[in-house]
Amino acid sequence: MTTYIIRRLLYCVPIVFGVLLLTFVLFVVIGGDISIEIAGKGASQETIDEIREEYGLNEPLFLGWDSQFINHFKNALTFDFGRARDRELVIDKIKRGVGPSLALTVPMFFAVVVIAVSLSLVIAFVHGSMWDIFAVVVCIAGMSVPFLSFILFGQYFLAYKWGLFPIFFSSDLTMAQNVALPVLIGVAAGLGGNVRFYRTVMLDEMGRDYVRTAFAKGLSARRVLFKHVLKNALIPIITRMAMAIPFLFLGSLLLERFFGIPGLGYLMVEAIGARDYSVISAMTYISAIFFVVFNLITDICYSLVDPRVSLE
Amino acid sequence: MDFALKFLSILFVAALASIAGCDGSAPVEEPNEMVLHHVLYTKIAGLDPANISDIYSRIVASQIFETLYDYHFLKRPYELVPLLAKGMPQISEDRLVYTIIIKKGVYFQSDACFPGGKARELKAQDFVYSFKRIANIKTLSPSWACLDERILGLDEFRQYTKSCAGAEDVDYSRRVEGLQTPDDHTLVIKLTKPWPQFIYSALADTAFAPVAEEAVAYYGQDIISHPVGTGPFRLNVWRRGSYVELVRNPTFRVEPYPCEGESGDAEAGYLDDAGKPIPFADRVVWTVIEEYQPAWLLFLGGKVDAGVIPKDSFDEVVTAGGELTSAMKDRNIHLKTFSDPSTYWLGFNMADDILGKNKPLRRAISCAIDRERFIELFFNNRHLVAHGVIPPMMSSYNPEIEEKGHARYDPQKAEELLAEAVKVRGGKLPVLKIAMPGAGTWFRQYGQFLKRSLNAVGLEVEVQYMDRPTFQEKLRAGSVEMFASGASAAIPDAQEFLSLFYGKYRAGGPNAFNYSNPEFDRLYEKAQVLPDGPERRELYQEMELIVLEDCPAAFLNHRVAYVLRHDWYKNYKPHAFAFGLSKYRRIDLAKRAAYRELVKKIE
Repeated sequence: MTTYIIRRLLYCVPIVFGVLLLTFVLFVVIGGDISIEIAGKGASQETIDEIREEYGLNEPLFLGWDSQFINHFKNALTFDFGRARDRELVIDKIKRGVGPSLALTVPMFFAVVVIAVSLSLVIAFVHGSMWDIFAVVVCIAGMSVPFLSFILFGQYFLAYKWGLFPIFFSSDLTMAQNVALPVLIGVAAGLGGNVRFYRTVMLDEMGRDYVRTAFAKGLSARRVLFKHVLKNALIPIITRMAMAIPFLFLGSLLLERFFGIPGLGYLMVEAIGARDYSVISAMTYISAIFFVVFNLITDICYSLVDPRVSLE
Repeated sequence: MDFALKFLSILFVAALASIAGCDGSAPVEEPNEMVLHHVLYTKIAGLDPANISDIYSRIVASQIFETLYDYHFLKRPYELVPLLAKGMPQISEDRLVYTIIIKKGVYFQSDACFPGGKARELKAQDFVYSFKRIANIKTLSPSWACLDERILGLDEFRQYTKSCAGAEDVDYSRRVEGLQTPDDHTLVIKLTKPWPQFIYSALADTAFAPVAEEAVAYYGQDIISHPVGTGPFRLNVWRRGSYVELVRNPTFRVEPYPCEGESGDAEAGYLDDAGKPIPFADRVVWTVIEEYQPAWLLFLGGKVDAGVIPKDSFDEVVTAGGELTSAMKDRNIHLKTFSDPSTYWLGFNMADDILGKNKPLRRAISCAIDRERFIELFFNNRHLVAHGVIPPMMSSYNPEIEEKGHARYDPQKAEELLAEAVKVRGGKLPVLKIAMPGAGTWFRQYGQFLKRSLNAVGLEVEVQYMDRPTFQEKLRAGSVEMFASGASAAIPDAQEFLSLFYGKYRAGGPNAFNYSNPEFDRLYEKAQVLPDGPERRELYQEMELIVLEDCPAAFLNHRVAYVLRHDWYKNYKPHAFAFGLSKYRRIDLAKRAAYRELVKKIE
């Protein structure tokens, strides 16, 4: 397994290099010179030239040790992302936003997985009944309603009309109080799709011989579902979960924006809009690393969950 | 199963840890503490005056920093009064030398950057330093464009800074002929040529507020988040992107609330606090809310003191007659409207082969746009039709401009002009392109409106949606045919609007129309050095008519702001040009406390 892990870690090098190259080409080579925009309206050419020098935009793109790409690569490897367009250190922006973003996305993710997996087990058990049809209809309805509608509805009724939650992020409240409603909305909006997915996974398992045998042996439904079916369905569950985890770091754009959670959700979108290359580069780079690492963790989990899987 | 449980447990712990580790608590509001609760509709970029370019940063910074002059809070038409200056400047006969006496007893707030952390008195040298800092090319100040070739010797100082390795290597003790301090409280500024807008554009602008050299040296690049000013408030908390909190500056001098205003101010209660020391508030809080729904709900819930009306809730708030609805009146909410110094247009690139050489085509496009319908659809009938480039609230506004008919919707005339345009072109007109400075829903609807308007008279149009940086770059490069844009004046002088058509500002400058007319340029240069008065106003109006005749843009609308305030929010008189107004605001704490009960009764 150690060899496998080392080999997979070595695979990360070209992947990360590719990501760096792609972001550089997209935002610097294709995106063009941002100095004019930074200089603002009516700026003189000399100011623009000075900005180009300050941001290293007058250096060659690829050729030379001082080229923009080599600097971009060096900065990424040393996690020195420099300053954003508003002159704040990019790493400070990320550090400040990562806590609130995770405070929102981790409980949301956790709750969605637990509720969706449990519900899907029960629904799979009553497969073909009215309850199953009802659950599928509700899931499809939930998937069809736009996420924004969940937010507008939840904020208006649960927060404003009924006063159960704060309308907006408030410094006077704890983070748990501030994220309670956005988490609830995120869970409600995310359940439909997840229950549908896990239901399919569970149904695949429910039709297998060992389940029939377990029931025939007289095991309780609870024991069959949670002991046997769940364990055997873990591989697709883990795959889905592990693929979603890196995205938790990126926060949730709409929820953060509507509830004023100072996370990373908006940071990336705003940076793209403003062509804040330092922020885009840092966020993409960190996301890529997370993605690669969690892919590796997923593979290791497979071998832990299923003894038939061996890593070579 | 065990593994699954362990995995989920780790996630659960991570979830709890992430919530527990992010306690964003701030000082809780005391019952008798006067706190102003405001909304910022976008994030602020920084609080360094020399690097302020957005309006929201300016709003916050203006409570911390002060300028030599400021607008009178109540008087209209807008009038400048001394703030850090002892009186209005003494101006030499040739209007080139300004001598300004600085008030004594004005202190920078206490800060770690000063010896012993104690407040230091403001001196004339601080203004000289601040001007030089803007001139320093390493500061990359967007405000330099305002000073370029204006102050004697300052351009040479800027040239010198180019040779310095970094901002910290610049020797600020270098003499600049146009910036002198005969003593600690006298500032003498020498201009290269008369500049009538000098007091407005530089001496009353937060970007030119005095900054302590010690603070810049102490905080370096982080000066953007460590403002050290002389104003009534000081920064207490700034959570970038979400929350700003200022507290009263204990070293602020005694300043009284204005004792006079315009007619009707006394009846409106604006003079109830006349002569009382300001500021009234203990804290000023801004929450960054970029979506209208939460901002609106917080306003209705009494969590913020004033707010704007979301487009989709307009009918719920204002009747067809422009009055507040009974639902709002029951909540003791008040409506205030005021003219904004802004103009929006569909611009034409005069350097473009198709549009630039075809005046009938440009005029046809202007005639094809139903501005009243546009204002009804997009602004709930709130805005005013722009008959020219100068907004109605400016003293140089031509009241007869509407009669000239340049903004009249006339599809029949548009078709006639198009036929003429085809002749000028010598063949069929190609598909014209409109550049929009955004790709969101609003811009798409706006683009569709323009497209339909022009299609209706037989013009083929393609609307190109792009992000603002791309839009600006294209404008600068002159690679657009038509573009949707607008401008807002920072001072009560129409010169800012007219400068957009000055020939020398083409090719990458503010003149995005690439418009050039020698007669316009001659009048502009003449007006540029004239002080405000009938002669200058006549010149402005003449220039406006030249622009309208040449039609480098179809002027569409002037913004009218509608703002709401709660009954408890006192001294809330909107101002089009001043930003440092929090010091005048007062809260009736009893009324604010009673609001919750009032809402319960209503709902």
